[in-house]
Amino acid sequence: MSGSVILETKGLTKAFGGLVAVDKVDLSIKAGKITAIIGPNGAGKTTLFNLIAGVFPVSGGEVYFQGKLLNKVPAHKRASLGIVRTFQHVYLFGNMTVLENVMSGRHPRSSYGFFEAALRLPKARREEEAISLNAIKYLNLVGLGTHAEHDALSLPLGQQKLLAVARAMATEPRLILLDEPGAGLNTSEKRQLSDLIRNIREMGISVVLVEHDMPLVMGLAEWVIVLDSGQKIAEGTAAQVQKDQKVIAAYLGEEVE
Amino acid sequence: MLARLKSKWIYLPIAALLAFLILIPFEWFFAQYTTLMIFIGIYTIVTVGLCLLMGYTGQVSLGQAAFFGMGAYVSAILSKTYGLNPWLAMFVAAIMTGAFAYIIGYLIFRLKGNYLAMATLGLGLIMWILFRQLSQFTGGPDGMSGIPYLSIGGFVFDTSFRRYFLVWAFCLAVLLISQNIVRARTGRALRAIHGSEAAAESIGINVGRFKAKILALSAVYASLAGSLLVYNMTIVNPQAFDFLASVKLVVMAVIGGLASVWGAIFGAGTTRILSDEVLLRFGEWDVIVYGLILVLVMIFMPEGLFVKLKEVFQRLRFRYRQRGVAP
Repeated sequence: MSGSVILETKGLTKAFGGLVAVDKVDLSIKAGKITAIIGPNGAGKTTLFNLIAGVFPVSGGEVYFQGKLLNKVPAHKRASLGIVRTFQHVYLFGNMTVLENVMSGRHPRSSYGFFEAALRLPKARREEEAISLNAIKYLNLVGLGTHAEHDALSLPLGQQKLLAVARAMATEPRLILLDEPGAGLNTSEKRQLSDLIRNIREMGISVVLVEHDMPLVMGLAEWVIVLDSGQKIAEGTAAQVQKDQKVIAAYLGEEVE
Repeated sequence: MLARLKSKWIYLPIAALLAFLILIPFEWFFAQYTTLMIFIGIYTIVTVGLCLLMGYTGQVSLGQAAFFGMGAYVSAILSKTYGLNPWLAMFVAAIMTGAFAYIIGYLIFRLKGNYLAMATLGLGLIMWILFRQLSQFTGGPDGMSGIPYLSIGGFVFDTSFRRYFLVWAFCLAVLLISQNIVRARTGRALRAIHGSEAAAESIGINVGRFKAKILALSAVYASLAGSLLVYNMTIVNPQAFDFLASVKLVVMAVIGGLASVWGAIFGAGTTRILSDEVLLRFGEWDVIVYGLILVLVMIFMPEGLFVKLKEVFQRLRFRYRQRGVAP
């Protein structure tokens, strides 16, 4: 093992009826690095993400996180193990304020339940205080501290995406999966996002992103994995991948269509 | 600073409400409304449960009368037929109903999608049939009478004056507990499920279990209310738990504001007053009125009538204050 591996897949496969969306993919994601998964439309990137996050069961193969087999671990338990994801369509909680969204992210790091809440027992008060203090910390991390009391959906898209990252970070992940974080953002918002992602990496957290925006990927990613038609066709540094004939063919093929 | 100022203002309407509630059953105040207010208190308890389930978690129950009826019948049968202490009967009924709801929830919520509405609709109909058909236990369509009153030591809750305070003590306790649940980690988890189940799951919320738990809690509330109903009237009959009863409960929750626990009093109040005082004249056509209310509120005030009124009130107060400050 070169460097430590945080996430590994072996022969990972997902078929929807006759369509094989992810086809025997072997991945080895290095800890503490920014890894990008790219590929033309329909390459299976988001499906791969959903398999790692546990949204649906795998059709074949295995997913290991820090050496632990994840196949049978339900999605909601993966957050407390240290895997968290964001969504292409953001999926903020529109019925909450900005701060409450991040406070929700503290769910796996707190434990009091209905009984303690109903009677406001000391445990509930103590944890609630820690939840809001931590939430403010993560809100400041993404620079939204001054918007705490606003409705989550009143923010412009760029800030909504930052908020989604803050909510995910509040779960204290070891690995964060970002699904098209740059989509729909303008240039300055993208720069802000890149800075944030680098910041997260500096905190020792591994980052995996699926992204269409090539300049963003090339500027950020230390390792790039290329998918096409559900299969891994290349991987390497950004520079290596850009010169790869198979990668060029895959992207050119898409443009011709 | 702002938060402290805000929280102080929150207690003012609650204190006013409390004072008003305490005075109602006295002769020189509104004693003629004591019975009506007892019913409003009982229905408020059921409505709060529905608010948590529908308003906060986004799950629809069209058979809440089943749980309401279970509380009523289990209490009635245990305390009348088997001579169990009414308090104990009430407790057993609540535990049974809650466990029953949890199991149903656990089974339904393993399926994705909105199956709860269908399942509870069916459950409501099945329970109503059981209440009528198991006549050796339930007394059939005629129901049961001669159910004992609740009592503490020698103090029997046999006057409406006494029962009024009993019911409202329960009601306020349920409201307070619910408010605490809503303003906590649990409440955020419920609202997160309403907001986006995928996102809720991604941050570690066990969506299925939370839904089952909140269904169970709403069932416990309904069961307590059913028991109180029985010990208030000392009779029980299946009419109070038919499909229309479930619809009325949904109307109460919707009017009361699906995004506010305290609105439940308002929802239960207006609906009870409407059905007892106004809709009697419509005979069987009252169903149409309930349907119309439901449709109109959902279209124009999806957060409920109570929340809308509160907004209007706040806007008026804001305007008034601005005028006061102006030089």
